[in-house]
Amino acid sequence: MMTDSEILKIHNALKTGSLSCSDLIAGKIGAIQKSSNNTANFLLEEMALKMASAVDNKIKKGEEIGVLEGVPFGLKDVYMLQGFNASGSSRFLKNYISPYTATAIKKLLDAGAIPLVKENCDCFGHGSTSENTFFGPVKNALDENLVAGGSSGGSAVNVAKGFTAFSIGGDTGGSIRQPAAFNRVYGLKPTYGRISRFGLMAYASSTDCVGPIARSLEDIRIITNVMSGKDSGDSTTIDSVPISDSIFYEEAADNEFCLGYYKSFIENENIEEKIKRDFYDMIGKIRKKGIEVKELEFFDTNVLVSTYYVLAMAETASNLARLDGTSYGERLVGEGIKDDYAFTRSENFTDETKRRIVGGTQVLSHGYSEGIYKKAKILLREIQSKFQSDFSEVNLIISPVTPNSTPQIGESLKDPLLMYLSDAYTVGFSLGGLPTLTCPFGQGIQLTAGKNKEALILKFANYLKSII
Amino acid sequence: MSKIMPLEVLSGIKGARPSQSIDELFDVVSKASSHDSTDMPVRIDEGNINVTVEKLRDDVIIESTNQEKDLIKRNFPREKNGFLVVSKVVER
Repeated sequence: MMTDSEILKIHNALKTGSLSCSDLIAGKIGAIQKSSNNTANFLLEEMALKMASAVDNKIKKGEEIGVLEGVPFGLKDVYMLQGFNASGSSRFLKNYISPYTATAIKKLLDAGAIPLVKENCDCFGHGSTSENTFFGPVKNALDENLVAGGSSGGSAVNVAKGFTAFSIGGDTGGSIRQPAAFNRVYGLKPTYGRISRFGLMAYASSTDCVGPIARSLEDIRIITNVMSGKDSGDSTTIDSVPISDSIFYEEAADNEFCLGYYKSFIENENIEEKIKRDFYDMIGKIRKKGIEVKELEFFDTNVLVSTYYVLAMAETASNLARLDGTSYGERLVGEGIKDDYAFTRSENFTDETKRRIVGGTQVLSHGYSEGIYKKAKILLREIQSKFQSDFSEVNLIISPVTPNSTPQIGESLKDPLLMYLSDAYTVGFSLGGLPTLTCPFGQGIQLTAGKNKEALILKFANYLKSII
Repeated sequence: MSKIMPLEVLSGIKGARPSQSIDELFDVVSKASSHDSTDMPVRIDEGNINVTVEKLRDDVIIESTNQEKDLIKRNFPREKNGFLVVSKVVER
């Protein structure tokens, strides 16, 4: 058994009676309430305690409990959970109540996991620091003067502080992987389509992914397996094979791992010297074990960031067009319907969200769609083709998560372009729809494989953990 | 009247104007070299996320539960004397 699995530790403690589920849940909720990290938009105390009591009764009666039964988790406040608030950390939806439950969350509930908290994040996923939120900035788990990362900042901090056993984040261009790195926990963006997006507030539908944040690889494996699968609510979902726990015990075969890294990510004037040095140190340790690590050519990071943002902004402008105050959300009243729309949208969106909606509207309009949007689609195809050819040469790509260390709170909002460029190492893999895991080694390391190769990533991550 | 609608109307955001940060992203895309062509057919393979027509779900009506219906009504922004109030659409 993997000893660092929080889920298995809780499961065993509940089973043996050394821990009551009600005490566990009350303790976690109390810790979130006392914390100054500002991770919680809404606490789900009443429901969580009721569910915990049911688990305790089951154990008292001598009934078997499932691995996730009674295990507390958090969910980014962009997921629907029937009867509870779903604000997207926005002023617009601050009083909105979910009419239904997201598929991924329903699967966790069906497995008996207990939701504790709707977690603070960047508004509608628009940000890389969790400062663009109606609920105030989230503070980093390791140093409260630093940002939590984003957009799933509250989720990563809750996991790092031990307030939740695991949390469910959302990743469009790095929103799970970057906060996971900034708070030194694991975060997986699965293959696009592996986990249903039904019930996740749409940011950019073609790269939006649901994924877990946890403190161990075993926990990432367990949660990914539970949430995966085809879903009639999301036509882009795909079949996938469950990841076996044997990947953590079996010996790696000779030449099972063949790694590559992108030279353009590392030999770049924007990367901090320490991140570059640590990365090359890690490559040295891997090579010393006889594993081949190839240097690969790739796109310029500015092209990756710009392509991603052009496409993401176009999609978010379309997705957020529904937020006009007609049938839900905060409506402001003007002289007539056009005025109502304009007042409602102008007053309720943050500057960053407005910037992205306006940019997306611009890029889809006359004079821009041919030269910019269609060109970005061409670049997207080239990026995807390049990944296909790279994965015929290597089976894993290793990279840092960000070019810079964690910024101070307040630093990034002054320069939006700088914030966009900080996503340089994460957005490319989102465009490829590829599974990518952040490991909390040093400033954070990303491991990427071909589609549906999550098992290979987790196996290598476990190996890497043993050699560093 | 110009057929080109201003950004403010298209985005539904008062005072909407282009941002310098975003213009810089556009500039990078427009100048990026590419070898591909728009005439290239869209691939339906594992490198592509497009969903084929055969894989789309059946176009069926799924009745919402009473709880869902109640929550949808509860989310409506304005209500008066039991009626859901919409924006004024008739212009004089």
